[in-house]
Amino acid sequence: MALPISYPLRNLAARPGRTLLTGGVVALVVVACTLFLGLISSLKRTLVASGDPMNLVVLRKGSTNDGASQIDLDAYRSIRYLEGIAPDATGRPLISPELVVQPFFRTLDGGRENVLVRGVEPIALDVHRGVRIVQGRMIRPSSGEAVVGRAVRGRYEGALLGDTLLFGNGRWKVVGVLEADGASFESEVWVDVRELARDARRPYPYSGIRLRAASEADLVRLADRIAADPRYALEAQREIDYYEAQSESANVLYYFVVGIAILAGLGAGFGASNTLYAAVRSRTREIGTLRALGFSRGAILLAFETEAVVLALGGFALGALLSLLATAALQAWLGGVAFGSTTFTTNVVTLRVSSGDLLAVLGLASAIGLLGGLGPAWRAARMRPIEALRRA
Amino acid sequence: MVSPTDVPQSIVLRHVSRHYHRGADEVRALDDVSLSIPAGSFVAFMGPSGSGKSTLLNLVCGIDRPTAGEVIVAGQRLDVMSEDRLARWRARHVGLIFQFFNLIPVLSARENVALPLLLVDLDRGERRRRAETALRVVGLEGRADHTPAMLSGGEQQRVAIARAIVSDPDLLIADEPTGDLDAKSAEEVLDLLRTLRRELGKTVVMVTHDPRALRFVDHAYHLDKGLLLEGHAAERARAALDLGLGREPGGGQGLGSAAP
Amino acid sequence: MTYLALVRANLRRNRLRTALTGVAVALATLLVCLLLAMPAGLDAFVSRVASNTRVSVINRAGLVYSMPYSLVRKIRGLPGVADAMAVVWYGGAYEERGKLTFPSFAVEADHFGGVYPDYHIPPAELAAFRQYRDGAIVGRATMRVYHWRIGQRVTLRSAIWPVDLDFRIVGEIPNADLGAFYISREYLDQALQAKGLPGLGIAGLIWVRVAQPEAVKSVMRMVDDLSRNSDAPTSSQTEKSFFSSFLATLKDFMTIIMAVTALVSLCIVFIAANTASLAVRERSAEIALMKALGFGRRPIFSLLLVETVLLCALSGGAGVALAVGITTALRVFAGRIPELGPLGAFYVTGPVIALGLGLALLVGVVSGLAPAWGAARRPVAETMREVF
Repeated sequence: MALPISYPLRNLAARPGRTLLTGGVVALVVVACTLFLGLISSLKRTLVASGDPMNLVVLRKGSTNDGASQIDLDAYRSIRYLEGIAPDATGRPLISPELVVQPFFRTLDGGRENVLVRGVEPIALDVHRGVRIVQGRMIRPSSGEAVVGRAVRGRYEGALLGDTLLFGNGRWKVVGVLEADGASFESEVWVDVRELARDARRPYPYSGIRLRAASEADLVRLADRIAADPRYALEAQREIDYYEAQSESANVLYYFVVGIAILAGLGAGFGASNTLYAAVRSRTREIGTLRALGFSRGAILLAFETEAVVLALGGFALGALLSLLATAALQAWLGGVAFGSTTFTTNVVTLRVSSGDLLAVLGLASAIGLLGGLGPAWRAARMRPIEALRRA
Repeated sequence: MVSPTDVPQSIVLRHVSRHYHRGADEVRALDDVSLSIPAGSFVAFMGPSGSGKSTLLNLVCGIDRPTAGEVIVAGQRLDVMSEDRLARWRARHVGLIFQFFNLIPVLSARENVALPLLLVDLDRGERRRRAETALRVVGLEGRADHTPAMLSGGEQQRVAIARAIVSDPDLLIADEPTGDLDAKSAEEVLDLLRTLRRELGKTVVMVTHDPRALRFVDHAYHLDKGLLLEGHAAERARAALDLGLGREPGGGQGLGSAAP
Repeated sequence: MTYLALVRANLRRNRLRTALTGVAVALATLLVCLLLAMPAGLDAFVSRVASNTRVSVINRAGLVYSMPYSLVRKIRGLPGVADAMAVVWYGGAYEERGKLTFPSFAVEADHFGGVYPDYHIPPAELAAFRQYRDGAIVGRATMRVYHWRIGQRVTLRSAIWPVDLDFRIVGEIPNADLGAFYISREYLDQALQAKGLPGLGIAGLIWVRVAQPEAVKSVMRMVDDLSRNSDAPTSSQTEKSFFSSFLATLKDFMTIIMAVTALVSLCIVFIAANTASLAVRERSAEIALMKALGFGRRPIFSLLLVETVLLCALSGGAGVALAVGITTALRVFAGRIPELGPLGAFYVTGPVIALGLGLALLVGVVSGLAPAWGAARRPVAETMREVF
């Protein structure tokens, strides 16, 4: 026969101070872990969302990113007319030669940050399917115009629609705002590729090429052909793989955060154990009575485990609520979390706690309750009724 | 009961009352009690539960303060002292003995006895020496390193008595010292208390239900419902104990000289 | 019998609880130390490798905007300048790995020793770097990762310039913090010209060593004045602030680390406070007894507080020691496995140790205060009911 569920609940309510203290520990651990996990997963999401499965990134061999690659006009021409590149409505191949530079932008508080400026041709919008202009319009070639990412807008001096941005050696009129479903393009500024090369006095016109394959088979064939050409030392990789590799630096952080979560969870588990051991101790007579009345060891074990898990889940609920508030507050305060990326540019990440993060932390909280309660529950269940009654 | 005026009085109570509030009710634990106990005597307070004897004891050892009246112990007015001064006064003048011994389970017998000496400015060696002397007085010098769990009830109470005398107080206060002991240990403890009174000149005040105690004490006061019984009422209470109507039937037979 | 013996006996009373609390506090201190070790490690790194007499000069528009090569010669002519060296990003990938795993720079071999005297490269190695066109000087961190030796030949394919060059390692920077691969500018320049390309007319970055620390400010001003009205105005910074500006991009992340650190600290306070209140509650009869024996408020209060503080301090000490051990191990492993790179940056510095211990002590005081005060303050008559 099991004890009614109200028994562990009443016991928790009987010592509200201690219940709050222990639940508070779990809640704090939940907040800390959720914040961290949310941060890392937001960062990864931002990067991973940037890749399109049908796109290839062409860079110089050995280069890890757009920022450390140079491609000359001949190399571009060598792949411009390769077969297998998807055409647009007018029959032009969907291939976007791009130049990435990282000039300083002036922040509103007077500091300076490296921002990724991508020189593109108008066709870039058709190659990067996820990117769309939500305000104003796309740039026209050779007109000194720029479109800014949603995360860039308002973050730097002049980064507003209709305003003039000063970076590199020139002045750029902001004619549009781009959005990309949270992808890292939202932290970029797009300008005309030829103007950018001239402004940055780059000896080579491009740093990388993005292209859209007509089919999966074409994508593989294209990648092979590009890598096989001995003249230009290029290599092509799937855009999703490229961004996955970019997010690898976040993986190390991710393991670090998981390590921290485990340590913090252990600490909280010990704290919860402590409280419950004390509860078992102070209720020795009560447990003896229950056993004398005929409740089984299993019932006692279950009652104390329930108490522990309810405590932990209560802590989780409180912590989850607090962390949602905290992320909202941080997001409002910092306006997105700025990360230095491997290209020395600033990636503004929208801090958002996903359901996956919450689920992982829920698992942690349950483990805290289950494992933290195990020792005390076992001790309670092991008590012999006669001794328990006598000792009290 | 009037004491001769030339004997110094250890304890004097003048019109002492102690009232508590329990919810809306006022409980008169002690009502207008006056008495005086000469130095160097061994007295017992007796009475049923709720008679006020424990309250009286608390007042005498400076743990509680009266609602009204004066409490003078060892020449000092206790009813006007602050908590902290009372604590210092207790450390100097009172040794306490309890029904359940109240030894600290994690300390050895010697350490338990030495505990009150922490309040006195002594070096470690001197503390240890005094604790061992006190243990010798109660006949437990051989068990100095044992923890309370390793001692019998009677031995534990003797350790507690050693702790009570280690700081050489004027007054020993015992609350049901035999309440948790078997007959043999109880007699040993009562005998020890009488010896302490006789040989060290301590004033010993004891609260007890135990009719056996009447054989050892110089005088027994009887309390009921917060009042000190005198004359016929006291005689009746004593007779009731005689007939075995005390809490421990069969415990007490053949009362000794109860009055000095 | 001493007060300390009493504290010790009390801590041993409920060993399980003392152990659980101790471990919880130790874990939390460990966490705080690890969290703080990241920013502290980066700071410590910058202070270790950066010199306060070295100045970086870059195009004001940004790091990827170059400057004319002729500028470096003008800078060398300025008063107060000990030496200056133009740097161009080579972007070399080691063929065995095929990816960029360490930074590589083309530098002016003649000026390398003059700009980096604090690297303590043996003069013979510097001379070899000047002498051999294809010579390279490599930081010890990278030498160790690839088990390279002086005299070894390696090929680095440039991701920036259309050349693959062979190098002979002629020197090692004897500093395990440094991993850059320095090649001769002349060698790269000639290789480009041999391919029919224009040579290197640019400098991506110029390092300037100032002779006297006091002159740093005026030198920076003079350098920036040289190109103020040209089409490539410069921006000078001390080496320290140059490196720090890279770390500044981690600022928001650090803010969150600090927030989490604060949360974890709060956690320990909760755990320790809970334990302290349990310890007091469980012992209320004994505390009452001690009061009855004549222990005043002060000794009771101190006894209970010291108990909590001692437990927290010891556990905190263990946590700090563990943090030092873990970060040391991480550094050793990160030195061997480049993928662990960022984890090797954790450094439990003196201030972090002090902070960890201070925090543990503070937690002890904060969490012990309320229960100890509560126990000490309760009137003895009230507590005696639990004794009699």
